Amino acid sequence: MTGLGLVTPIGAGREAVWEGLLAGRSGFAPVESFDTRAFNVHLGAEVRDFRAEPFVRRLDPGALGRASQLAIAAARMALADAGLALSALVPERAGVVMGTTSGEPREVERFDDRFLAGELDRVGAEFISLYPCHMIAAHVARELGFAGPNAMFPTACAAGNYAIAHAVDVLRAGRADLMLAGGADAFSRITYTGFARLGAIAPERCQPFDRNRKGMIPGEGAAVLVLEPLAAAVARGARIYAELAGYGLSCDAHHMTAAHPEGDGAARAMQRALADAGASPEEVSYISAHGTGTPTNDRLETLAVKRVFGEAASRTPMSSIKSMIGHTMGAASAIEAAVCALAVAEDRIPPTMNLEEPEDDLDYVPNTARNTQVRLAMNNAYAFGGNNASVILRKCEV
Amino acid sequence: MRRRVVVTGAGVISPLADSPAGLHAALCAGRSAIKPIELFATEGIGCRQAGEIRPFEPRDYLGERNLRPIDRTSRLLLIAAQGALAASGWTPELRARCEVGLALGTTFCSVRTIAEFDRRGLQLGPAHASPLDFANSVINAAAGQTAIWHNLRGVNSTISAGEASGIQAMAYAADLIRGGRAEALLAGGVEELCFESFLGYYRAGRLCGSPAGGEEFAIPFDARRNGFALAEGAALLMLEDEEAAAARGVAVAAEVLGYSSVFAASLEEAEAIAAVARAVRLALEDAGVGPEEIDALSASASGSVAVDRWEALGVAAAFGSRAAELPVTAVKSMLGEAMGASGALQAVALLGTLDDGALPGIRGLESFEEDFPLSGAVAETRHVSVRRALLTAVGADGHCCALVLGEPAMAGGPA
Amino acid sequence: MSITADDIRTRIKQIIANVAGLNAGRIGDDSTLRDDLKLDSLSLLEIGVDVDLAFKLELPDESYKEIDSLPAMVELVQRRLSELSAQPQAVQG
Repeated sequence: MTGLGLVTPIGAGREAVWEGLLAGRSGFAPVESFDTRAFNVHLGAEVRDFRAEPFVRRLDPGALGRASQLAIAAARMALADAGLALSALVPERAGVVMGTTSGEPREVERFDDRFLAGELDRVGAEFISLYPCHMIAAHVARELGFAGPNAMFPTACAAGNYAIAHAVDVLRAGRADLMLAGGADAFSRITYTGFARLGAIAPERCQPFDRNRKGMIPGEGAAVLVLEPLAAAVARGARIYAELAGYGLSCDAHHMTAAHPEGDGAARAMQRALADAGASPEEVSYISAHGTGTPTNDRLETLAVKRVFGEAASRTPMSSIKSMIGHTMGAASAIEAAVCALAVAEDRIPPTMNLEEPEDDLDYVPNTARNTQVRLAMNNAYAFGGNNASVILRKCEV
Repeated sequence: MRRRVVVTGAGVISPLADSPAGLHAALCAGRSAIKPIELFATEGIGCRQAGEIRPFEPRDYLGERNLRPIDRTSRLLLIAAQGALAASGWTPELRARCEVGLALGTTFCSVRTIAEFDRRGLQLGPAHASPLDFANSVINAAAGQTAIWHNLRGVNSTISAGEASGIQAMAYAADLIRGGRAEALLAGGVEELCFESFLGYYRAGRLCGSPAGGEEFAIPFDARRNGFALAEGAALLMLEDEEAAAARGVAVAAEVLGYSSVFAASLEEAEAIAAVARAVRLALEDAGVGPEEIDALSASASGSVAVDRWEALGVAAAFGSRAAELPVTAVKSMLGEAMGASGALQAVALLGTLDDGALPGIRGLESFEEDFPLSGAVAETRHVSVRRALLTAVGADGHCCALVLGEPAMAGGPA
Repeated sequence: MSITADDIRTRIKQIIANVAGLNAGRIGDDSTLRDDLKLDSLSLLEIGVDVDLAFKLELPDESYKEIDSLPAMVELVQRRLSELSAQPQAVQG
């Protein structure tokens, strides 16, 4: 991983976001992008004051959905962070793989507003050119001129990890020399309504792993990571954050919105990732948890970690940055992968904020960031439909 | 040593047929799926036809289990999965012991469910939005529902790359098998017909006859073509590690020899054609075969004015002198454009051709542009001895995928 | 005119039948939702939403969380309907 681009509810750009996370900055505020009066919850983690213009230079920002704008911004930041000029790349050998939960939901919302107003004649060509989720990766590639492999992984809240995993495979198979991998999601009333209807949204605070936690808080954002083969990175003198050591994927095949009651799928994904990385649980220095803050997720995630890590579980720091930036959906595991890369590169780990009474005895890094050697970092993500994904990053000794 | 990937079965539900054999027969007989739409009202829309699955009685396939939590898109996929699992001998007992995965291509999953969830929340208030509909409003819902219904605990991924989604999903599954990460995955695609996407494609000028509401020519490659006929369907192929399949003693229908995925960074014609050519070359290279070893092409051409042309010229550029003789089919001439399902439908259709050598004609194909290079594209079904076939999937938004399917290997394979 | 317990039960059975994919006639008067009818958490939530909508109860989610049987649901609806009808009406005329 040689470049990181981030647009989050607590800021944009690697430095601002990382320092913000280490300082425990909160991205929660009353929702502004739509009226929440009819709801009994009102908090969200929106990206405020985002302007697409500095980043979207080749395409017309007005012809892009919000998630695409966020993705392009993150992509450009990532390339700059990697010290890569577009002119230095072979377009056919550079690809884009992104993850998302909803694609561009505001386009459906617009369609529905017109539908209900009896104004379907106002639906124009833009619905099809903006809405399909594959347009996010397509727009990034079109903005940058990338002609290599291109796909979206709309695997919901684990999507970023799926995109990263696939990018790794594409690079290993030699089908590209550079891959941008990440995730993007835009705040939407559809998503908010859904989670509110499930009773999953916390009314006041997002408190992952706390005994009194009441739920998650929806957010939005984008993260893009620059991935390239080690030899190429070394040859061009790139700064290497971390090496992709391995990944593991599994499916609960249990329930659409609730995880397996024994953390079965989550455990399998972790075990597979460890096997892929040739590592034992004891070697993991830090876990970036999925940690949404819902009563069920956090309990089952703790259970799964204990299953896999055994006695090492209570010695392995695990924190959730969703305690600060909320649940950014398809961007979440991509942002968290960037966090793992930074943890590995700088030997610092972010805290779980708002943690007053841990429900269990794991080290959740309560409220204060920590300096600690991080050789191996594990990034876990779990999604609706039982999609589980774990990605492991390793300190690059080169 | 790279692992080999084989196809051990397939399942399909489409407007023409609900079995691979039925589909092959219908395509070879030149039957069209395109008919006046009954699923939703089309007043005010200048295109009235689509490839609609009708009648559609999910209970006929899925039995008495509760279907309320499962929407139309997922029901289509459940049925295709059921067919593929049965055809490949993956019984419930086997699935309980071993993990079977699912790699699913789709453009929308169910935009209808998403939109209906949104509209109900707006009309009745968020407190009365439907929890069941929300669970189906994520784009990976169909893959999740199918995993639950059929107990598929292996890798479960959803992939969107427009018209190329189905081929991309097959390539993704093959990658996992080659890499030793999985031994068996269902791979393919699903797309349902619905008002939301139909109106969207109409307003975008992509449907045949739109926007003028004129005569509809959804005929691939034909000089009169003026857009595609939207359609729905689900198709899945069981991809397995060749050695594992042999150990299971299951029959092999085909082998996935190679594939590629590229993108047209701009939609300028020259660039798009070059991207198609590149996709073809990379897939052939990956399969270790040359153009002269490809016996037939299954093109994704649908009647789109520009995209069909990109595909034809791109394939020709990659095939050189072989282009003019290459037998070509385009099953969307009969099935219509089923978006995320289409590549998998092409693949399932090709299994029939690999088996009996019947290559479906391109229904309705009569007139050609002057520089149309694929003389092997004809309207009639004919006999072609096919050992290796190329599938191409070219999307209007720039996705270009290609995949080489071969007959089961002679040496060392099961009987 | 007030709605009878039988009417309420019949209507709730229809709702449950719709969510559970069953024939309403197969739902016994004493059915438990999780055990007898094998409904999962999502379906139970859906039933709560549909019942709330059908009878215009405007109750919070918590009210439905404890309900695990048809008799309990009928009782909840009856109680709430009488609560609502006991509230002061707008003055007419």
